[in-house]
Order: sequence, then C-alpha cells, then structure tokens
Amino acid sequence: MKKLFSDAIIQSRKRLYPTPPEISYKADEEGGCGVTGFACSIPVGGRHILEPSRLMHNRGNGKGGGIAAVGLVSGDVGVSREILDNSYLLQVALLDPEVRRTVEDKCITPFMNVDFSRRVSTVDDYREIGSLEIRPPDVWRYFVRVKPEVLKSFIEKNGFKNMDPRRAEDEFIYQNSIRLNRTFYETQGVKHAFVLSHGRDMMVLKVVGYAEDVARYYQLEDFKAHAWIAHQRYPTKGRVWHPAGAHPFVGLDEALVHNGDFANYYSVTEYLRQRNLYPHFQTDTEVSALIFDLLNRVYGYPLEYIIEALAPTTEMDFDQLPPEKQEIYHLIQTTHIHGSPDGPWFFIIARNDFYQNQFQLIGITDTAMLRPQVFAFHDGDVQVGLICSEKQAIDATLAGLAAEDSRISSVADKYWNARGGSHTDGGAFIFTLADDPDNQKRKRIVCTDKFGHRVRLPESRKHCALSLAIEAPEDAESLAATISGCLEGKKTNLLCEELRGVLLRGEFAPFRWCCEVISEQASRSDGHRETAIEALTLLNDLHYPTGSLKRSSVLRVVRETLETILEGIAPIGSNSSSVYRLIKAETGNLLRPPKDGEKALVLNARDFPPEGDDCDARLVCNAYTLGWRRFICYGYRGQRFLGSGFGPDTQDVRIDVYGSSGDYLASGIDGMSIYVHGNAQDQIGQILKTGKLVVYGDVGQTFMYGAKGGEVYIMGNAAGRPLINGVGRPRVVINGTALDYLAESFMAGDPYKGGGFVIVNGVEFDDDGAVRAQATPYPGSNIFSLASGGAIYVRDPLRLLVDEQLNGGIFTDMTREDWRLILPYLEENERLFGISIERDLLTMDGERKSPEEVYRKIGAVKLKTLVATTAKEKDQ
Amino acid sequence: MNTALRSKTGAEGTAHSGRPEIKVTPSRFRNAIGKYIVRRSKACIACGKCAEICPYGVHEFAGKTMARPKDYRCIGTACENNDFYCVRQCPQNALSVRLNPILEVLGDRRWTPELLISTWYMAETGEVPPGDIEYKIGDSGGGFDRIEFCFPPGREPDAVPDDEVSLRIPLNRRDDGRPEVEIDMPVYGGGMSYGSISLSVMVARARAYQAWNSFTCTGEGGYPEELYPYDDHVITQVATGLFGVREDTIQRVRIVELKYAQGAKPGLGGHLLGDKVTPAVAKMREAVPGSALFSPFPFHSVYSVEDHKKHVDWIKHINPRALVSVKVSTPTDVDMVAVGSYHAGANIIHLDGSYGGTGAAPDIAKKNIAMPIEYAIVKVHNFLKEEGIRDEVTLIASGGIRTAYDVAKAIALGADGVVVGTSEMVAVECIRCAACESGRGCARGIATTDPKLSRLIDEDWATQRLINLFAAWRRQLIEILRKLGMRDIRELVGRTDCLKHLDYE
Repeated sequence: MKKLFSDAIIQSRKRLYPTPPEISYKADEEGGCGVTGFACSIPVGGRHILEPSRLMHNRGNGKGGGIAAVGLVSGDVGVSREILDNSYLLQVALLDPEVRRTVEDKCITPFMNVDFSRRVSTVDDYREIGSLEIRPPDVWRYFVRVKPEVLKSFIEKNGFKNMDPRRAEDEFIYQNSIRLNRTFYETQGVKHAFVLSHGRDMMVLKVVGYAEDVARYYQLEDFKAHAWIAHQRYPTKGRVWHPAGAHPFVGLDEALVHNGDFANYYSVTEYLRQRNLYPHFQTDTEVSALIFDLLNRVYGYPLEYIIEALAPTTEMDFDQLPPEKQEIYHLIQTTHIHGSPDGPWFFIIARNDFYQNQFQLIGITDTAMLRPQVFAFHDGDVQVGLICSEKQAIDATLAGLAAEDSRISSVADKYWNARGGSHTDGGAFIFTLADDPDNQKRKRIVCTDKFGHRVRLPESRKHCALSLAIEAPEDAESLAATISGCLEGKKTNLLCEELRGVLLRGEFAPFRWCCEVISEQASRSDGHRETAIEALTLLNDLHYPTGSLKRSSVLRVVRETLETILEGIAPIGSNSSSVYRLIKAETGNLLRPPKDGEKALVLNARDFPPEGDDCDARLVCNAYTLGWRRFICYGYRGQRFLGSGFGPDTQDVRIDVYGSSGDYLASGIDGMSIYVHGNAQDQIGQILKTGKLVVYGDVGQTFMYGAKGGEVYIMGNAAGRPLINGVGRPRVVINGTALDYLAESFMAGDPYKGGGFVIVNGVEFDDDGAVRAQATPYPGSNIFSLASGGAIYVRDPLRLLVDEQLNGGIFTDMTREDWRLILPYLEENERLFGISIERDLLTMDGERKSPEEVYRKIGAVKLKTLVATTAKEKDQ
Repeated sequence: MNTALRSKTGAEGTAHSGRPEIKVTPSRFRNAIGKYIVRRSKACIACGKCAEICPYGVHEFAGKTMARPKDYRCIGTACENNDFYCVRQCPQNALSVRLNPILEVLGDRRWTPELLISTWYMAETGEVPPGDIEYKIGDSGGGFDRIEFCFPPGREPDAVPDDEVSLRIPLNRRDDGRPEVEIDMPVYGGGMSYGSISLSVMVARARAYQAWNSFTCTGEGGYPEELYPYDDHVITQVATGLFGVREDTIQRVRIVELKYAQGAKPGLGGHLLGDKVTPAVAKMREAVPGSALFSPFPFHSVYSVEDHKKHVDWIKHINPRALVSVKVSTPTDVDMVAVGSYHAGANIIHLDGSYGGTGAAPDIAKKNIAMPIEYAIVKVHNFLKEEGIRDEVTLIASGGIRTAYDVAKAIALGADGVVVGTSEMVAVECIRCAACESGRGCARGIATTDPKLSRLIDEDWATQRLINLFAAWRRQLIEILRKLGMRDIRELVGRTDCLKHLDYE
C-alpha cells in the first residue's frame, strides 16, 4: 500500500511543474560551517543557543545564520496547546513587507483556515544588533489547517483516497509552500517572500548575519523550546546574500542544518528530478532536506533506513552486518545511491515526529567521516542531548543551562564521536524526547544509535546541585588537618587518595567542603598552591570509582575549584611575590619578561579571540620570546593554535591546558611538552616535530597529520584519520582506538632503528574507572593503508583484527625485541594514566598472558604501487 | 628587434644598474642542438672567410683549422639573401646548410623543437634568437598558441628606455598589516621539490631569482640548508604530504604557499616514485629510502572553506610576517575557490592550469582534468572584480607558461603575474624526454637526485642560464608594453582587448 501512496504523491507533484524547471547547478558554494544543536527534557529559552553560536563565529562569515526550535510552549506563541499540537505553524519571510496581503490572498486564505496570525516580534531597529548589516525579513506566523473542502478535492484529484487524511493534509501543506516559493521567490530574479517553515510545533528563522543575531533580532532569548539547532553559514559567492539560502531548511516537520559540501550535487538533483522534486534555493542543504522528507514521508522509511540511504554502510562494515540487514541495505543502496550525498557532510536535524508523539534531535555523519562532530549526553532530573561541530559549543550550552537550572551540570556524562557508515553505531545518534511513561507531565530523553541501540549511562547516581549550601562534615577537623598536612608536605598523591575516599562516602557535601578548604589553603604559599593544583589536576584527569556520585558532577566541582585557585593567582600587573603570574585578555598588554623567581605564566584564555594577532596562542609565543618557559593555560573555549609558532628547540617549555582547547593545538612543536587536561580537538599535533604531548581524553579529526616525531600519549580515542603521512619517528600510544584510516601512508622508517610506531590498546574505562577492552580494538576498515614504514602494535588478544582491514600492511610476529621497544612507552603510559601493564593490559580474564599473546604487530609491505616502475611497465 | 650576437666575449652593454649581468653561457655539451645543421666538407681550406662574414658566430677558428660549426647559432636558409651567406660565399663550396632532422623527434606540440631551441638560445645569450626560429608560441592548436596580441597597427614602439618601463608587481595587495613584498618582474618560480630535481638546480633557481629580486619555491620535499642564504627569495610550500615542513621552514621565509592541488594532476596529490627516493631525499623528508612517497589529496585537515581559513590562520600564526599564497588547480568552480581563498585571508591566489607538469604527472590527468589556464584566469579575474575584491589579491597564473609572450598573454587575460617551471628546466637544457619520474631517467641531470647524474649540472652555470633567460624575457615584455603604448606591466592586467583569439574572431 505504501508504495502506491509514494507513487501517488510523486505523481501529484507533477502538477506543480507544468513545465519542469531547467536543470540547476549549485547556486551557492559554501564550505563547511558551524552547526550546533541540543534537546532538553524541559523547554528552555533561545538564549542558550546564543553563546554556542557565538563561539562558532569562525566557522561562519556572518553572511547567513539560522535557528530552528522544536517543541514550543503554547504561551510563547499565543495559541492553545491543542492548536500548537495540531495546526501547521506556517512562517513566511517577507523580504518585501508590502506583499503580505498578496501572499495571503494567493496562497493562504483561499485554502486554509487560519487559527491565529501575527507578525513575529523583533527589536525596533535591526541596527541595534551590531553585526547585522542587512535588515532581516519581516516574518509572519500563521497557525493553519487546510479547509476541509479544499482537502477533499485535493485527495480526490490526486487519488489519495485510502490515505490517512492527515497525511494528505501534510502533502497539501508541503505543495502549497512549494507553490508559494515559486510565486514569490525567484532564485535568479525578484525575491518577495518565501516559506521559512510549515511544520507542527516547530519553527525556523534565518537572516543574513550570524545565528545568534536571529535569536536577538526576533527576541527569542526567553522563547522556550525543547530542541534548538543553529547554523553559522560560510557562503563565498555573491556580494548580495539572501536569508533564504541560510540554514536550516525544512522538510515538513523537521529542520536540517548541514556542515559540508556535496561533490555530487548534480547527481542528487537528477535523482530528485526523477521524483518530481526540484530544488528552489539551490544549495546542498535544501536538497538534503528534500531527500530526508522524500524518504521519510513519501517512502515512509523508518529512520534507520533513511540514515542508510544517506550514509551507506560500506566496506568491511557492510560485511559485519547481519545477513538480513545486508539484504535490505543492499536494496536501499541500489535504489537510493544517487540520492546519497557524496563528500564531506554532517547533518543535525530537529524534528517533531508528529505521528509518534515525540521530538527528535538527530546527528548523522557521512560515511567517510570527513566533518568534525561531537555528541554529548547529560542525564539526570533534567536531561540534555547535544550535537555540535566543536566541543566548545557543547560546553557553552551546558554552562549556560547550568547557570540557569541547578539540576543541570556544566559537564556532560558522556562525550563521543560517531563512526560514519559503520556497523557499530551507523554514524548517527538520535535523542528522542517523549512523554515519561511513569509521569505524563514530564518528558524524558532516550539516546540511541542508528540501529536503535541505547546509549547507556550509569543509572541512579547522584547529581550535585551546586546551589546547595556546603556543610562541614563531622570529621571536619581531622580532614582539614590532613589536607593542610598534604599541602604543606607537597603530598599530592596522598591528598588525591584522601579526596577519593571522601567521594566514596556517597554525599557531595564533604567532598565539596574539602575542595573549599583546599581552595582556601592554596593561597597560603606557592607550595600549597602547586600541590593543590597538581592534586586537583589528577582528580580531573584520571578515572576512579565515584561510588554513588555522578562522575560528571565530581568533575564539575574539581574544575570549578581548580579555576578558583588559578583565578586567585597574582595578576601580571601586581607587586606581590609569587612564582606564578596570571595574565588575561584585558591584561595582555602588560606582558613582560619573568622577574626573579617567577616561574610560571598562568593564562586565562576565556576572553581571547580564537585566532589572529591578539589570540592567546600568539601571546604565549611572545611570552616565550621574553623568557617564560612554563605555562598553565585554562578557561579555553575553542581557542586555536596553542603551542604553535614557538619555532625549534623548545625542550625547556611545558604547557598545561585546561578547558575546551581548540584546533591545531601542539601543531609543529619541536621539543616542548604539552599536557591537555581534557579532550583535545581537531588537527592536533600537525607536523609535530619532537616533544611530548599528553592528552587526558580523546583527540579529534586528523590527529598528527604529517607528524615527524614526538612522544604522544592519548588516554582515550582518536577520531578519523590519525597519523596520516607520519614520517620520521613519532611514537604514539592511543589507549582507546580510532574511527578509521589510522596511519594511512605512514612512512616512519624502521621502528627498530629509531623509526616511528603507534600502539593501540583498544581499552576504555568503565563507570567505576576500571580498564576494560573495547568491543574491538579497531572498528574501522582501513588501518596502515599504503604504509611504507613504521609499525602498529595493537592489543588484540582475541585476534579480532582481520587481513581485510589492512590495505598494504601485514600482520607480523610480535617478538621480544618489539616488546622491549614498546615497553618503556607503556610504562610511561601507566605512570600518566594509571593503565597498568600487568593488571590491565596483559591480564585477560584473570590470567596473565605474554606480550606476544596480547599484542599483534602490523608492519609495512612493499606494495607494487609503491616501488619503482620501469619505463616499460609505465607504458603498459 | 634582436641584435645579432657579435663577439665571443658576450653580448654587449646588457648589464646596467640593479640588473643582473648577462654572461654568455653555452651548452654543457659539445654539440648544442640547433634548428639547422651546417656541414663543412673536406674541401675546406681554412681560409677564414666564413668566420669573417658570419655575424652569428657560427664559424670560428680552432687553431689553424676551422672548428666544427656552431650550427645552433645559424639562421639557416633565411640567410640565403644575405651578402654574408656563407654557403654561397665559400670559395671552396665546402659548406652546406639544412634543417636539422632531429626536429622530427624533439619536443612535442606544446614544447615544439623550435621553442626548446629558442629557449636554450635565450638561456645561453640573454637574447632572442635571430632568424626564423619560433620563440613565442608552440603548435598545440589551442591555449596561448591560438591567442595573439593585436598591436595598434602602424604604431611605432614608444622610444622609452628600458628602465622607464616597469615590470614590478606587488605581492601583498591587502591591507592586513603584513609586509609589502614586490618582485621586479612578474614571474616567480614554481614549486619543485628536493627529490624531484637536483640540489644544484634548486640552488641555481634560488640564486637566479634572487638576482632578479623574485622568488623560487621549495616544492614539497623539505628545505635544504643550501637554500638558507636565499631565504628572502624562497617560498616554502606546504603541500598535502607535509613532507619536510617544519615550523622553522615556515618561519624563515617571506611567503608560504599552501598547495591544494596541481593543475597537471588535480585530485591526485603528489607522488615521487621509489626510484627517486634516494637516501638523501628520504632523509630530508624523514621517510623510507626506496619507497614511493605519496602526498594525499586533498589536505586531510581541510575539507571546507572554514577549514581552509583555519589552515591559513595557522600558517599566519606560525609566521606573523609571511604572506600566504594559495595554489589551486582550475576546476569549473575555480572562481568560487578563489573568492573563498580571499575570504580565508590569502594574499596570493595562484591558479595552476592544466598545461604544466613534468613527465612525472600522469598523461590522463594532464590532458583531461583541469580547465585550461586561459579560461580560468579570465573567469577568476572577472569574478573577483564583480565581487569588488580584485584589487586586494594578487592573482598568479601557472600551468604551461613557456615564453615571454605567454607571460604577457596571461597578464592581459587578467593575472598579475605568472609562475613558471618547465621553462626553467628547458633553460638548463631539459629536452622534454618525459622520463622525470625515474631516478636515473634524466639524461641531463636535472630531474634527478642520483649522486652521479646530478653532477652533470654546475650550479653557477645553471644560475647564469636562468638569469639570461629572464633577461631575454624581460626585453620581450618591455617591447610588448612599448608596442602597446604602456609603461607599466600593471597597465596590461585584464586588457583582453589587446588580444585576439585566432579561432574566434
């Protein structure tokens, strides 16, 4: 039956185009962009999309910004819950305010009953918003239902008789908007008006400007919704831009933002033409929304199949699927491959899943994982699911929400990346927001991957509400004595152990009280301060049992204490004597050489721009030139390039980084040590020459691209494409795994003779901080492809890796010599991360194994394509 | 326009203040290749008549007998009507002149044998070759070979001295606080890596460009120490393999070039076959000797325009005084790429069209992928103008610029200047045999790092050959400007009205 309807719908659309439009090419070239979105179990104000959007300015150019909100509050839009739930919220942008009557007379009132209409309120003058150069369109909002007689004739005319009339009404609304756009908006000509959105309980606004300008101009700070998405656009063509080209684009009940660029726009439009769909605004994002709606509403595919059609499962991942899935996926791919966007892309979709009575926030990454993406989930009384192109946007969203609602923490319970087109998670995650079955008054979020597997978080652990007063525990006196003893005696490890013990009491109060004591005592002397910073850093970095307390809450307390201590350091302009000196954006001009005894420059990165001549990374370079060698940098919100630009021979430099450090961190370093106390982002350690890099978390895309050397320790996972084109002698321990394409074209010589290698341990920490093996040490289809030198040592006691994953590499025997080579690095790894060689790496199910049983070595083979061809061969 | 070569001591009066001196620098080989062959039969009595009358220096004494004729200097049958036609004047009828049969096998349609021979001649003498040798265009049937200047008819070239015609162009045209950098001629050297060419050729290029106050480019193979003295005239290339790129190599130069693609092989990255990865090359790139080196395509860290901006920002962060050049190939949306690069902060946009590339680029790529450069230049120039940003970027074209006329045509189409590569190789006697990719394939010791073969090239010799070539080009460019009534090469930019296409009147 469904098939019949899809044919009928596709046929009915023919009527919209008496003569099919000309073949269109992409009108706008845009690269990637900044995308961010979140869904919250309670409706929250649009102000929370402001800060994450602002932090992604450098992913847009202020020539297009948009937001979408799904799951609105009836009071905010001035209609009853019933109307909000059932009527279509039609939002029309009037580029020419004069045409409103004409638009209504031609495209709205003859066909629809309008329950309510109003101009979306704005600030009085767009120039109040500094970054707006062009006046945003007037937007009119209508709550509409199709007139029964109009719907009846529509159904009859198109043969929709057996279709659910509600679905026929959906199609009418959809087609009516196409008609409106075609009447009032010519891509290459006069532009009067266009439809922003027309779905139920959702709306879209967009401007020529930045995304946060939308929220400010249309006064959305206090406008509440369950899900928000925002997009910073980076169009490069044309001097005149129109808001219609900005994201999000809509299907029916969904809004889609996109970061990327299709290589096969033309082929995708051909696929759409065959189904009587013609892009009108001629951007990648519009066609993405068209495809999504086609698969969803016209073909009636479940979400899993829609994702498969968009990002097909390929290579070894396909082989790993169960046979019945292979069969159906094969059919989907065969039918829809031409509609599958090729090239780098990442979608965030917010939708009202009307017929299932739920809202969804969906992130889908392309098969090749070419765009950066981070997911995060905050569980608790109030739940938040987040999807962003950069982690600092997640942090900013959570920080804003936490400031407003004590049930929310600024640290999420879980952060992760998706593996595009994979059999493991399918490269997509969905936050579904539905009524709580136990309590109809509230909504709960469930996070699942493409296949419907739930992302599980430790249950029933206590969240820490920072608003609660801190009470001294009964043994306050002895605790205080222990703390001051540790701080005085520089007993960092002991202090750490004490605090861990306090955590296991099962309440936050004593732990918070201890942190407060540490914070107070830290200011007594530089020695106190140093020990306090070190101990709190260990608590921040390592994994350990937190008993009944939520780890994310513990981290939040630790980080805030640490920040308080760092904030208390003598500012650069002051006269007090200390080995530490604090510098901030506003005191950057006071930078001077270190005076007697001054050892460490502490930098608060918060208000520095993310790049350019005034950025923190440049200030640190200047400080190095002036003689500073030790840096503690905190408060990061995605600022880039830290550690780059120092030039050669920096063996005496050490940098510790806290917060959401940005892209290209530690790129090109030659000698220095950098410790990243948290996750690191994309392009870390590009062309790294020598030195030491330690990351207490995950690293993002294209980690150590073109690296020449360095000793590098990653506590967690690497995203896609780590160590591509590595040469020289990089020696890297990745305790987690990588998404795919690890060490492609690796050329780092002979490991026995000083060449490079990567150790992949394939482990992770469980909720109690214990080390356990991941499902597979390497999930990707490509490892060490086309490599000509170096080696990979992978911990694979169950021999899960197979030859098919190698394209040029070869499994070779792990020898004693290999073990001798890698052992010192695993020892340092143990010292840094507490991942024990004996207990965690060499012990399997309680049995101690030999290194040769546990580790496997992948070496390079001379491929025909890599060795010389003679002239004769070349001719052939 | 050309003065004949008169003496054995070198062209006269060519050196003047601030300009490198032309020194006659003959072929490294005993018998240079020319268009004509002059034979002296046994009947010769060494009377010396021919040496006395020939103004081109074909005939010389070698002691008491006559030397083998330097026939590459001969203007051939075109000489017949001259009083000094040696064949007729020889009292013994011992001389004969004919076309050199090697023309049938030398070169190709783009680099015709005559273009090769004329380039060798210019590199030897700093002069345009006399006679009927074609030195302006090739025979490809398209591209610059079908575009001609239309000089105002009946107009005599302006009688302004050379020094009053300016060929200088600025490389930083945006007001971004970075240094002004000017070059004295609208030409700089394209990226050729250590590994693809020999060290002596690399250093010779740097020296020649320093002499002409311009730049050479490292290509993607590291920055040999031997280039350090020429830092101010070297462009560090950062390409997709990131071979040999360190902060130090980015910091020591005035221009950094981000090579996204090469017009000869867009979408393919670079490759250096195992043969050429000698221990020295491998050391410089920190790779494995004997194993082929691939640069991926594209930059794995750049998949979008905002990645591109971040990438440019990164280079600018490492070297706050450097200009950034973005080298891209010419796909159909090259105009978008150019504008995107401008917005990303590039100072120079370098379009690399499809005609260039040495023998190492696969034919299928060379001949089929990128847009011809003459189309790309116009497209980008006009689009940048429409966008109102043409005056803020320097537009450089490359990919098959072979002659001074090609240079001028590229500029008239809309480029500010050009990048050359193959012409330089020809100047140091490349014969276009297209065996560049194999380590011991270059019979001329140019595109090789084989220790023995690269000894074939002497650095001083190569330097002077390049200086001479550019001197000859400079003269031709000035002459073109004079004929058009211009005083400054910048007046020529985008003057498509000065050109005509022979296929579309």
